[in-house]
Amino acid sequence: MSPLILKLILHSAWQTLEMVVASTALSVILGLPLALFMIATGPQGLYRLPFAARLMGMVVDAVRAVPFIILLVLLIPVTRFIAGTSLGTEAAIVPLSIAGIPYFARIAEMALREVDSGLVDAVRAMGGTRMTIIRSVLIAEALPGLVTGVTVTLITMVGASAMAGVIGAGGLGDLAIRYGYQRFNTTVMFGVVVVLIIMVSLMQVIGNSLARWLKH
Amino acid sequence: MNPILDIQHVTHSFGQHTALQDISFSVKQGEVVGLIGRSGAGKSTLLRCLCALERPQQGHILLDGVDLTTQPERQLVRIRRRIGLVFQHFNLLTSRTVAGNIALPLQIAGCPRREQAGRIAELLELVGLKGFEKKYPSQLSGGQKQRVGIARALAANPTLLLCDEATSALDPESTNSILNLLADINRKLGLTIVLITHEMEVVRRFAQRILVLDHGRLVEDGTLLDFLRDGQNNRTLQTLLADIRPSLPAFLGETLVSTPPQGHHRAIIRIVLSGNGASEPLFSALYEKFGVQTALLQGGVTTISERLSGDMILSFEGDRTEQALDHLKTAAQNMEILGYVPSHP
Ligand SMILES: Nc1ncnc2c1ncn2[C@@H]1O[C@H](COP(=O)(O)OP(=O)(O)O)[C@@H](O)[C@H]1O
Ligand SMILES: [Mg+2]
Repeated sequence: MSPLILKLILHSAWQTLEMVVASTALSVILGLPLALFMIATGPQGLYRLPFAARLMGMVVDAVRAVPFIILLVLLIPVTRFIAGTSLGTEAAIVPLSIAGIPYFARIAEMALREVDSGLVDAVRAMGGTRMTIIRSVLIAEALPGLVTGVTVTLITMVGASAMAGVIGAGGLGDLAIRYGYQRFNTTVMFGVVVVLIIMVSLMQVIGNSLARWLKH
Repeated sequence: MNPILDIQHVTHSFGQHTALQDISFSVKQGEVVGLIGRSGAGKSTLLRCLCALERPQQGHILLDGVDLTTQPERQLVRIRRRIGLVFQHFNLLTSRTVAGNIALPLQIAGCPRREQAGRIAELLELVGLKGFEKKYPSQLSGGQKQRVGIARALAANPTLLLCDEATSALDPESTNSILNLLADINRKLGLTIVLITHEMEVVRRFAQRILVLDHGRLVEDGTLLDFLRDGQNNRTLQTLLADIRPSLPAFLGETLVSTPPQGHHRAIIRIVLSGNGASEPLFSALYEKFGVQTALLQGGVTTISERLSGDMILSFEGDRTEQALDHLKTAAQNMEILGYVPSHP
């Protein structure tokens, strides 16, 4: 493998990491409140608003129903509005996050739903406010599940970012298509696959041990 | 003295199903009340009303004179801080250590951080878990988890402690130690305790008063001794009592006749004694006075509400059995002739 190819792969890996980390961070920051909203307004929730819960569920499912490659194209005007351009690595973070937010919200919702309602009762009976219940019970108890959700989202974003080459975002996926598929450079293709496997495995191992450590 | 808890005509239903119907009773400061009934009788629902987790549809619940049923949610949040609740499945936060769990009600009550550690150590000492601060609930046995649950319930100095099947998930040994702990707390702190259970054995030893709930209605209110003395109890109570009362062995029951047979026979009686009667040399007195020979078939002397009480099935044999029985009637709280069996000398 020539130093040039190696440099190309490392550069693309960096672009992929940039997209994946930034979009996962945004998905968690915005998806978690969304999940809490759906749980809290749901039928057993702390602020029962069944209509709002159902509406939010529908919006979340609608975004998730659109295949990412289509979402990428559909969102070009939105991307241009938010990022100032519709091309490049930074611009790709916009559609990746918009796909990631409802994805993580559903995973987080499941993790939050797993929390024993007896614990909510216990803290309510102690005179805990709803904010205390959300912080000390729902989020604290669901934390291992939420961490697993972050891991899954990270890995999903690695896959989705490969398609972001369509809007000139670069990254490993884009590199593999341009050199490996269009120019029959199997060395680059092979190198990209190895780097992807290492990247995903590392995410999984770190995520798993963090979740296990949090589980006591 | 005003009751600490006064429940007036509480009715509550879930949809079509009436879980509580016209419940009224009051609890005095320092009293230990056992609330007993079969599964589905409405015990937990009543308890949830008492700790303001559920608002009954009708009636009033006065805690220290404050009506919980009319308070806005904002006030209820404050009122709940004065009620300790102990759960069947402990409901400890798995994400927090033992100290963290006990600290939560202190944090909620706004106790300064400096004072928390001292209070936690004090509570752990009280429940017999000294030095367990840094352990996680997953590292504890069921009995230990419940001790943490009790420490947590006591953390914010509640005026009332409510226990919902606090020992139902525990083995007999842990059940025993948890009940001793609760009795101890009642004695030491003078804390009012309402204890829910479906097991008579749990309330036998230290509930000063027992309420029986059946299909959402309060069907009995009295002491265990009252119930044993009256004999004429509600069916639910009878089945609950059967768990802790001696019963005639089946092989004896089969040979039992209702009138004294010709020739040698023995009278089989059930007797309830309490206080002094339970500790007096009863059998030797019967022999000296009436020449009646007594045999203990079932039962014995146990502790009810921290007093000695006898609940036993005896057999009497002798020529002056009738006089002996008359004598016993005055000494015993309750005496019942179950029947007679022929004896073969
Ligand atoms: N949240 C609820 N929704 C509907 N029905 C309920 C609810 N809680 C309790 N019930 C019903 O009320 C009755 C009494 O329940 P509960 O108070 O839990 O009984 P216990 O604690 O004596 O076993 C049961 O028939 C139960 O099915
Ligand atoms: Mg119950």
